[in-house]
Amino acid sequence: MQPVPAMPKSWRLDNKPHKFCPGCGHGLILKCLGKAIDELEIQSRVVYGCDIGCSLLSWDLFNLDAVQTHHGRTTPVMAGMKRARPELICIAYMGDGGGYSIGVQHLVGAAMRNEKITVIVANNTQYAMTGGQMAPTTLPGQKTETSPYGRDAETTGLPFRGAEMIAAIVPEGAYVARGSISHLTQLTRFLKKALKNQIDGHGFSFVEALSACPTNWRTDAARTWEFVEKDMAEHFKRGEIKIPGKKEAVTDA
Amino acid sequence: MTEAPVIEEKRVFMTGNEVVAWAALAAGADIMYGYPITPQNEVMHYWSRLAPRYGRNFLQTEDELSAGFATTGGVMAGSKAFTATAGSGSVLMQEPMAMAEMMRLPTVTVVQQRGGPSTATVIYSQQEVTLTTMGGNGEGIRVVYSTAGHQDLYDYTIKAFNIAWKYRFPTFVLGDGYQAKMREPLTIYDPERRGIKLLQPDPFVGGEGEPGRDRPPAQYRNTYNLEEELYEKIMSDMREFEENSADIAEYESRHTEDAELVIIAHGIVFRAVREAVDNLRRQSLSVGAFRPVTLRPLPGGQIKELAARVKKILVVESAYGQIARLVKEKVCGAACEIYSMFKPGIGIAAAEVEMRAKEILAKQ
Amino acid sequence: MPDPSCRPAFLLFIKPTRLKNRGINILMSDRIVEAYIGEYASGKSECAINRALELARQGRKVNLVDLDLVEPFYTLRPLQKELSQLGLEVIAWKTEETVGLGEAGTVIKPAARWALRRRGDVILDIGYGIEGARTLNLLEGANQDPDLKIFAVINISRPMTASVKDIVAEVSTMGHVDGLINNTHLAEETTAALVQAGARTVTTAADAIGLPVIATLAEEKLAEVIGPVDCMGNRVRPLKRFMPKAFW
Repeated sequence: MQPVPAMPKSWRLDNKPHKFCPGCGHGLILKCLGKAIDELEIQSRVVYGCDIGCSLLSWDLFNLDAVQTHHGRTTPVMAGMKRARPELICIAYMGDGGGYSIGVQHLVGAAMRNEKITVIVANNTQYAMTGGQMAPTTLPGQKTETSPYGRDAETTGLPFRGAEMIAAIVPEGAYVARGSISHLTQLTRFLKKALKNQIDGHGFSFVEALSACPTNWRTDAARTWEFVEKDMAEHFKRGEIKIPGKKEAVTDA
Repeated sequence: MTEAPVIEEKRVFMTGNEVVAWAALAAGADIMYGYPITPQNEVMHYWSRLAPRYGRNFLQTEDELSAGFATTGGVMAGSKAFTATAGSGSVLMQEPMAMAEMMRLPTVTVVQQRGGPSTATVIYSQQEVTLTTMGGNGEGIRVVYSTAGHQDLYDYTIKAFNIAWKYRFPTFVLGDGYQAKMREPLTIYDPERRGIKLLQPDPFVGGEGEPGRDRPPAQYRNTYNLEEELYEKIMSDMREFEENSADIAEYESRHTEDAELVIIAHGIVFRAVREAVDNLRRQSLSVGAFRPVTLRPLPGGQIKELAARVKKILVVESAYGQIARLVKEKVCGAACEIYSMFKPGIGIAAAEVEMRAKEILAKQ
Repeated sequence: MPDPSCRPAFLLFIKPTRLKNRGINILMSDRIVEAYIGEYASGKSECAINRALELARQGRKVNLVDLDLVEPFYTLRPLQKELSQLGLEVIAWKTEETVGLGEAGTVIKPAARWALRRRGDVILDIGYGIEGARTLNLLEGANQDPDLKIFAVINISRPMTASVKDIVAEVSTMGHVDGLINNTHLAEETTAALVQAGARTVTTAADAIGLPVIATLAEEKLAEVIGPVDCMGNRVRPLKRFMPKAFW
C-alpha cells in the first residue's frame, strides 16, 4: 500500500494528486493555506476564489466553496462577495501576473478601500501558464520567452515589489506580509494571521508568497531551490510589512 | 432599524436614472456596484442616497471591470446585485458579463446608451445594441430589455431581477441618455401588491454546513479543457436559451394587421414612430409599427410573421444599422422590401419618420 | 477690459436698512438677488427663468445665471437666444463654446463666478446635486451679499420630497435657506387639486422649519383656475414652461 501524504483537512482527497507540475510552488502555498484554514476552523465559512493562470488549477483543490474567475479579476469578485455577505471569509488567490499586472488596479482599489478580504499572490517571477513570459516580478537579467536576452531594467523596469506597494497604500487595520515556500512554517503563520485579520474585521489582508516554477525556469531541484532562496530573496524580502497596531488587541469590544 | 421601502402606488415625476434606483429598491435589490460614467451617474447618486435608508448597500469600485466582477461576486453570495454603465464603460463591462454568461449568473446591468465609438458624446444613442445583445466573446446568452420611457424603466428594471433569477441569464435594461435625463410622470408601485412575486435569490456559495462533510463543495469555473467539453456546455445553455426565448420575448405592435408598411424601432425611438404612425393613420395611410421590447431574445416569430405578410418594412434607429441587422436576420428569405432610416447618435422626431414613411409608400 | 455691467465692488458692502417687525422690509437697495436650489428635477430652472422674465417685464435689468455644475443637461444653454430676445442677460455657456459637453460639465463659466458684481437683478439657477446650496460658495461675494435670498424649490410629486417629513429632512441638508417654493406638478398631467395638495404639504413643512412659502408655481392655465393665491394663502406665480425645449 502506498503511503498517503499528510494533507490538510480542508483539501479534497477525491481528486488528488493535484494538477500542478512536479516541483510547483502552488501546492506548497495552498498546503500552508489549507493548514491555516484548518487551524482557524473556518472551513464552512470560506469562499475560495482563484484567477486565470496556473492558480486556476486549484479551483477544485479544496473542500471549500470556490469560484474561478478571470485574469486579475478575482479581487473584485471576492470584494463584491464580501460586501454582499460579510460573514463569509473571502480569499482571492492569484499569480503575480494577475495581481501585479492585469489586475493591479483592482488590488490597489481593494487595498485603498481596506476591503475585508484576503488576497494571496504567488510570485514565481513570470507568466507560467502562457508559457513563461516576462512579468513585473521578473528579475534583472532573467531570461523569459519575452525577454530572451534577459530582463533589461533600463527598458522594462525592476522587479515589482507588490507587498511594499500595498503596505504603502493601505489604511490602518490592514495586514501585509511576504512569505516564501522556502519557509513554510512562517508562510503558514502569515496566512493564518492574514485570515485572522479578515475574521476580526480589521481590514485588508495581503500575503505575497515567493514561489517556484521549475517547468518554465527549466531548473532542476537544486537550482530551483537556490533561485527561490537566493536570487529571489535578493529582491523580495520576507517578513511582515504591515501589522494592525493596537486595534488588533481590541476584541469583544 | 431600517424601514421597508413601502412604495405606495402613485403618479410621480422623476428623471429616468432616479426611476431605475427606485425600481431596484422596489425589486428588492440588495447591493449596487458602480463606477461613474455619464449618462448613468444619477442611478448611483440616487441609489447611494436611498440604500442606507433601507438597509441596502453600495460600493463604488475602481472601474467597470471591477463593478461588473463585484456584481458577479454579490450574486454568487446570494444577493440581488446590479450595476449600471454606458458607452466605453459598457465595453469594459462585457468581460465580467461574459463570466456571468458562462456561469449563468443572474446579474442585472442597466445600460444608458451614449454616443460612440470611443468617448464620443455623453448625450444619447442606440449604438450599444450589438454590444449589449451579443456581449464579448461568446454567444450572447443574455436577456436585454429595451425601454421606451420612465414607466418601462420602472417596470422592466423590476422584471429584470425576476427574469435573471428565474432563468439565470445575465439580464440587461437598455436605456439611453435621453431616458436617463428626461423627466416625465410615471406610476411607481410595490410589485408584490400588484401580484408580482419577487423571486428570492439562492446563494451559489456559502451555504449551510461544511463542504466535503455535510455537503459537496459548490465549485464554479469558466475554464474548460477540451473542445468537446465546451461544446456540450454551450449547446446545453443555448438549448435552454432557445427553449425559453418565446416565454421571455416581448413586443408591442400597433396597427400592423392591415399595414402595407410596418415601421420597426426599439426604445425611445419607438415613441417617435408611434406618434408618426398615429399621424399617418389619421391621413388614412396604411402604416403600422412594431417594437421589439426584448432585443435578446428578439421576438423572432412575430417579426418573421410580419415580414411574410407586409410589403414593406422600415427600420428606424439612432445607430447605423444595429437593430436592423438583428431584424434582417429574422426577416431573411421573406419577399418584403426593407428600408432604413439610420441616424447614429442623434434623436429622431416623429415628423422625420412620417416623411420617410410617405416617401417609401410612394415608391412603386 | 472690465465688463461695463459690473458693479463697483464697494457697492456690495452697503448694508440695506431693514425695518423689521412691521411685516415689511424696506431695502435701500431694491436689487433682487435670488438663488433657486433643490432636488434633481424639482423645477429650479423653470422657476428661475419665469422669475427672471417676471422681473424683466417690470422693466428691470435682469441677469439669469446658469450654475448647473454636475452635468449640464436641461440647462439654460439651449434657451439662451430665446431668453435674450425676451430681454434677459443670460450668463451660460454657448454650446459651441463647450467641448465634451457633459464630460466637462463642471467647467464653471468665469462670468458666472462674478455674476453678483453685475448691475441689476441676479437670478441664479443652481444646478442639482448633493452639494446643493454649497455651489454658492463658488460665487464671488455670495457670503456677503446682503440681497441674496436662497429659495428651495419643492415638488411633492417627487418621492424624495413627497411628505412633510421628507421635505423637512431634505431642506435641512441644504444649508441656509430663506424660503420654500411650491412647484408641485406632474408635467402635462398636473391638476389644480395637485398644486393645492402641494401647497398644503409645502406650507406645513415650511411652518415646521420656520420658513416662509415664497410662492406656488402653476402653469398659466392652471394659475388662472387657482387664482392669485393658493388654498394656503401663498402667492401664485403663473409659469410658462421653457425647459422641455432645453434638453442638452
